[in-house]
Amino acid sequence: MKSSRLNIRISAIVRRCRRLGLLVTTGFALSTTLAGEEKSAVSNAKSANDDVVALDAFDYPKGRLQNPDGGKGWKRPWQTSRFAVSEVVEATESGTTTLGSVSSRDLSIRGTGERNNPLRRELLKPLTQKEVFVRFDLHYHGDTDRDVSKVDPEFFVLWLDRLDGGDGSTHASNVPNIGVHIADRGPKKGRNVLMIRVGPAHTAWSKVELEYNRTYRVVGRLTKSDDEARADYGQFDLWVDPKTSDWASPDATVSGAQSLSLIQWIGFSTGLKTEPTDRIHVRNLMLGNTWQSVFDESTALIAARDKRGINGILWNKPVDFKRDVYPLLKMRCFDCHAGANPDSGYRLDVHRELLGYSTGDVLAEPGRSRESRLIEVLTAEAEKDRMPPDGDDPLTDQQTAMLAAWIDQGMEWDDQLLPPPQRESDHWAFQPIVRPGVPHAVDTTWVRTPVDAFIAKTHAEAGLTHAAVASRATLVRRLYLDLLGLPPTPGEVDAFLKDQSPKAWENLVDRLLQSLHYGERWGRYWLDLARWAESQGYQHDFVRPYAWRYRDFVIDSFNKDKPYDRFLREQLAGDELQPYADENLIATGFLGAARISGNQEDDAVQRNDVLVDIVNATGSVMLGLTLECAQCHNHKFDPVSQRDYYRLQAFFVRGQLGNLSLRESDVENPTDIERWIPKPAFAYYSKEVESLVKKKLYSPIDKPHTWGYLSAASSDAGIERYPVVNRKPIKWQPSALKDAEARMLIRGDVGSPGPSVGAGWPEVLGITPSSLGENPRTRLAAWMADPENPLVARVWVNRLWQYHFGGGIVATASDFGVAGAEPTHPQLLDWLATELMQSGWSTKHIHRQIVLSSTYRQQRRYNKSNSEIDPNNRLLWNWPRRRLEAEAIRDSVLVATGELDRTLGGVSIPPEREAQNLRRTIYLFQQRSSMPSVMEMFDAPEGIASCSRRSVSTVALQPLFMLNSQFMTDRATALAKSVKEAAGDDSGKQIEIAFERTLSRSPDNRERELATKILQSDSQNAAHSGEGAHADSRLMQLCHALLNLNEFVYIP
Amino acid sequence: MVWDRRAMLHESALGFGSLALTSMLLDDSFARDSHRRLPQPHHAATARSVIFLFMSGAPGQTDTFDPKPMLSKLDGQRVPDSIAATVPNIPRSGVESKLFGSPFSFRSYGESGIPVSSLFPHTANMVDQMCVVRSLNHRVPVHGPGECIALTGTGVGDRPSMGAWMNYGLGSAGQNLPGFMVFLSNVTGPPPQLPGWGAGFLPARYQGTLVDGNKGVPYTEMRGGYTELNRRRQLDFINELNRRHLDRQGPDSELEARIDSYELGYRMQASAPEVFELSQESAQTREMYGLDQKETTEFGTHCLLARRLVERGVRCIQLRNGGWDAHSSLTSNHLKGGKQTDQPIAALLRDLKQRGLLDTTLVVWGGEFGRTPTIEGSRTGMSRGRDHSPSGYTMWLAGGGVNGGQIIGATDELGYVPIERPLTPADMHATLLHALGIDQHRLAWNHNNRDEIPTVFGGEVIQEVFA
Repeated sequence: MKSSRLNIRISAIVRRCRRLGLLVTTGFALSTTLAGEEKSAVSNAKSANDDVVALDAFDYPKGRLQNPDGGKGWKRPWQTSRFAVSEVVEATESGTTTLGSVSSRDLSIRGTGERNNPLRRELLKPLTQKEVFVRFDLHYHGDTDRDVSKVDPEFFVLWLDRLDGGDGSTHASNVPNIGVHIADRGPKKGRNVLMIRVGPAHTAWSKVELEYNRTYRVVGRLTKSDDEARADYGQFDLWVDPKTSDWASPDATVSGAQSLSLIQWIGFSTGLKTEPTDRIHVRNLMLGNTWQSVFDESTALIAARDKRGINGILWNKPVDFKRDVYPLLKMRCFDCHAGANPDSGYRLDVHRELLGYSTGDVLAEPGRSRESRLIEVLTAEAEKDRMPPDGDDPLTDQQTAMLAAWIDQGMEWDDQLLPPPQRESDHWAFQPIVRPGVPHAVDTTWVRTPVDAFIAKTHAEAGLTHAAVASRATLVRRLYLDLLGLPPTPGEVDAFLKDQSPKAWENLVDRLLQSLHYGERWGRYWLDLARWAESQGYQHDFVRPYAWRYRDFVIDSFNKDKPYDRFLREQLAGDELQPYADENLIATGFLGAARISGNQEDDAVQRNDVLVDIVNATGSVMLGLTLECAQCHNHKFDPVSQRDYYRLQAFFVRGQLGNLSLRESDVENPTDIERWIPKPAFAYYSKEVESLVKKKLYSPIDKPHTWGYLSAASSDAGIERYPVVNRKPIKWQPSALKDAEARMLIRGDVGSPGPSVGAGWPEVLGITPSSLGENPRTRLAAWMADPENPLVARVWVNRLWQYHFGGGIVATASDFGVAGAEPTHPQLLDWLATELMQSGWSTKHIHRQIVLSSTYRQQRRYNKSNSEIDPNNRLLWNWPRRRLEAEAIRDSVLVATGELDRTLGGVSIPPEREAQNLRRTIYLFQQRSSMPSVMEMFDAPEGIASCSRRSVSTVALQPLFMLNSQFMTDRATALAKSVKEAAGDDSGKQIEIAFERTLSRSPDNRERELATKILQSDSQNAAHSGEGAHADSRLMQLCHALLNLNEFVYIP
Repeated sequence: MVWDRRAMLHESALGFGSLALTSMLLDDSFARDSHRRLPQPHHAATARSVIFLFMSGAPGQTDTFDPKPMLSKLDGQRVPDSIAATVPNIPRSGVESKLFGSPFSFRSYGESGIPVSSLFPHTANMVDQMCVVRSLNHRVPVHGPGECIALTGTGVGDRPSMGAWMNYGLGSAGQNLPGFMVFLSNVTGPPPQLPGWGAGFLPARYQGTLVDGNKGVPYTEMRGGYTELNRRRQLDFINELNRRHLDRQGPDSELEARIDSYELGYRMQASAPEVFELSQESAQTREMYGLDQKETTEFGTHCLLARRLVERGVRCIQLRNGGWDAHSSLTSNHLKGGKQTDQPIAALLRDLKQRGLLDTTLVVWGGEFGRTPTIEGSRTGMSRGRDHSPSGYTMWLAGGGVNGGQIIGATDELGYVPIERPLTPADMHATLLHALGIDQHRLAWNHNNRDEIPTVFGGEVIQEVFA
């Protein structure tokens, strides 16, 4: 309302002046009479005020520029760049200005080291008048020993344009600029001076050299060549620190330039010469029709400093929080805006929440009712925008005026009445882990291990009876499939069946845990969690040729039984760890597994997506928390605030993904990447490389390297980062990153940055020390593995349990929060968690606790009464059979046919070379958009988000794949061939061997009969191609059928 | 519908979703289809199937269905400030460039008199069946994310495609075919976006089945010297051994589902190839779809297949036609696109109508965004092209309860920004789901302990479409 009234007034003046032909002279007539009379300027403020077109004293709440009412004469609030965001800070006290300043707030603009357009704002009405005056005060904080010899002289300017120029400040070259540049010529050549320009050919450098940490008042005048509205603003004059009497003697002038005829946007840009550590402070931006109008900054503040009245009602009495404010808030607001997890996400019963503590969204700030969002929503005209909502009566003007006065009087609070909340939770998963006693075993014949004691106790409580122990033949197959993901060969089955030692099972368990195939099986679960893949993801999905090193790191870590705490530390902070080791750096592939968009016009969004990916994965995998909700708002269920989310992000903001140098002498360095990258992906990649090389953005890397994460602040100094192949290469600017800070994003929007926050873990999980030292991620990793951390050990043992039994003790393995599932056996979970820690975080120790139990050795057997009590077998009253994962299905087929190439590790296998390299499925190239078909078919994740549990879908395409794909037909043929080699033409023997190879057992009579029918069918048609060929084909059909059985693809 | 969150969580956590088998193969009666999520539709459906004609690369709105005489008048001039100021601040908006009047002429057609450009002389005759929506807009000027927005609702590509939501909500109405099938034609320019037919966080079984129009459904061809007879015998063997295995263990719906999937797969193998036997169609029909002409064969085949699939109850068919990305030489580019698609699309609409299928089949046409009213860069003459413009663009719908012969929304005089009834791709999604009887606020899948719905960032039914 106010601004439109002002607008009418201004345009009325402009029209009147035009009519009278006074436009040219008005301002100067006034200033002439005022020359040398500072006081008169103030007394004439009213008339000068009328000539003000737009102004902004940056009198905003600290940290924000979002207030739509800031200043006068604008169409909308400031638009901010998404990169190096400006903020409002306390005014600079140091430094001097010849005329002083009344403003108490500055706008602080950050340097960027490149072209940025941090702030721009649209005028209410475009300017076309003959003269425009612009003024702002400038204070440059920066290093005084700057190197000024860089090529690009761009420093910092205010520009005036028809368009806003976008974040990259892309303006036409003839746009008027006023600011600081290095002088190309003249007496101050090579020095930083204040200057004006209308394109490179029309630049004028003043003699005023920029000193740091001093305040300048900068005034410019744009003049059109004639009165025509469409004429260009061809002349531009500059004054630095002028007195009102200096109007006739500018410090620099350009004229005769071809320029714009209309100005609608004003903004500031920073250039290449600014450093990210620089802070350029601006205040008192004014545009006016006259010289005088831009001098009186008090106009800027008169409006801003009024006390806030509500519809004319002004509350002048002192406000008492307890007496006046509290009862009102309680009655009208607290229903939805109080308590730990208010539905609205905003709480008014906590002082620091009003100040924006957990969401970054400031509702009120002491002394500033004018910009208060609280008052804004209470007084909104439209019912849908107003609080209280849903047609509830609005607050009376009296009440709102009182609240405004309370804010202006300092927002006093009563901490006894409404104390700051402790971030506490009585949720089970956030309580310390205490080692429970092992229950006394009643059924000592069945209870072999502590695990059994816990399970037996719940069985007894629920009225369940356990199933009998499975046959040894079943057990050996179960253990091989479970621990190695490969079925036993007939010889391996035999060896176990013949082992009469009482320790036979224990010995088998130990032997399999020592097998290097164990890591290939269990490492794959971790790769699912780590959302690992060998490509960037998103639209282009360019390959990451050396991402396979992380896959091998994971396999190797499982095989070595690397302590889980160490395993996490390497993945979170491997680049920081000392002494340096290649292995540690490769481990950062966990952070590096984040996807990168290659088709993103907006750098800040591209970067934020990476950080979000890292935080979400870390939270989900290690802490078992669904943090992603808190990206935009406080978590609805869990005591995790938006602040917590960005504090966690702060651990990662100084780093970036990339190709990182390896330096140990024995590192394997294959470089013929076309050997392991799928053909179409390689062609696409090569084309991109070519184009990036042309643009000098990439050159092929022949030195050994890996795909991981590097910090500009804390990584080992010897790590080198090589460029990345992506359509839009992800930014790596160590100078900017090393001081990067995490900022809360209001409602998760990259365009609405809130206050910056330091690194820390979620408050509810413990207090973050005031200093995290040089290597904050190492500290984060140490905190993860601290015995006090209630989640990490629980989450890991639960995952192990889930991978053995198909379901976890907590069914929601990556959500241990309030909305997650309750543990079925809380004490067992804690017992296992303490076992993990007491064993030195040994994963294999936990495997033993589980697989040596009677619980694990039960048979699969339906029991009606059990089933009525626990239909889903959550309490494990019999073996929870489950389908093999995609990898294990393919690997099992290859073991059955005898074709599996058991080579470990190394570069991946592309589809074109699969037939010649029948290695385990984990080694097939994992491009996110084009996963191996067996993985797509059988529910493998695409590496987009952390996957804690694969779904099991059953669709008709699966049998079609198993029956009709080339891969499966070839395998059936190979199996038939090898069966025939072993059995000759004896069909009975063939059947025997085919069953043993596929199902690890002999057929029973009925099965033998059915199989015989297959082998003997069709013989009446054998005439024309010979009995031999037909027999082979029928054997193939039998083998093919066996590979399709449920029994073959389920863990028995 | 109140789909119990716990039940769903239970399903997703324990994998018992598969007890409901597959989206294929179950018939249309709600009572018998245990697989789809809705025991009954949320409201009366006006469509049983949806055919999405996705024009990738993005045809220009001002060259197709949104004529702008003013644009032709100001050809070669700057964008007037009054309009430039309203164009959202998105990269490549082209407001600094010169205006480019459409090289194509417009004419009114049908009783409704809706204008259509000379690119689509055949489709134009069906204009009384069509509801032209001229006020779509979003903020992403890049193909990949744009395609994801158009087909999934967000640009990230991690959410289910609309076809997957439909498939999840309703299952297939057919006996022997996947519920959601996708065909790609003229694959040049921006690569197809997998999320466009992906299942996102929904189980993979709901994703679109990518089909080669010439080869049919994958893995339906037998290899290795099988005959019908010995395959049948083999399946009987598998079946009996699986039954015995099941009997040894006791009741187990997951194992039963897998047993059934072999029978279902067998039926699909038998019936899917038949769908692709276009020789069954009359010469007249084949000609109508343009199967006799080089330019129209590919897309015409897909359109004809779409009709055959609709007849067999497939829920959603997505035909992606590439090549519309006219950064330069817009005239020849769009003429080519028009030539390839116009006759087949008109034939599809006419054919569906003739067979009484148009009433229950919703056909929707559009790209990931529109194109700028200005010239991209400084090209001249016939090499002039347009850049991407998501700030205002056109789509149309026909059939399936759509009230044809109407125009919804309007852009400004140049075709930059909606000035009437601005709508988003999510509004379009809500509308498509609505036609199928699905309330987009109530169809939910519990993912990471959160009930996800198709229109995550809003999106409301465009009610006038059906009015």
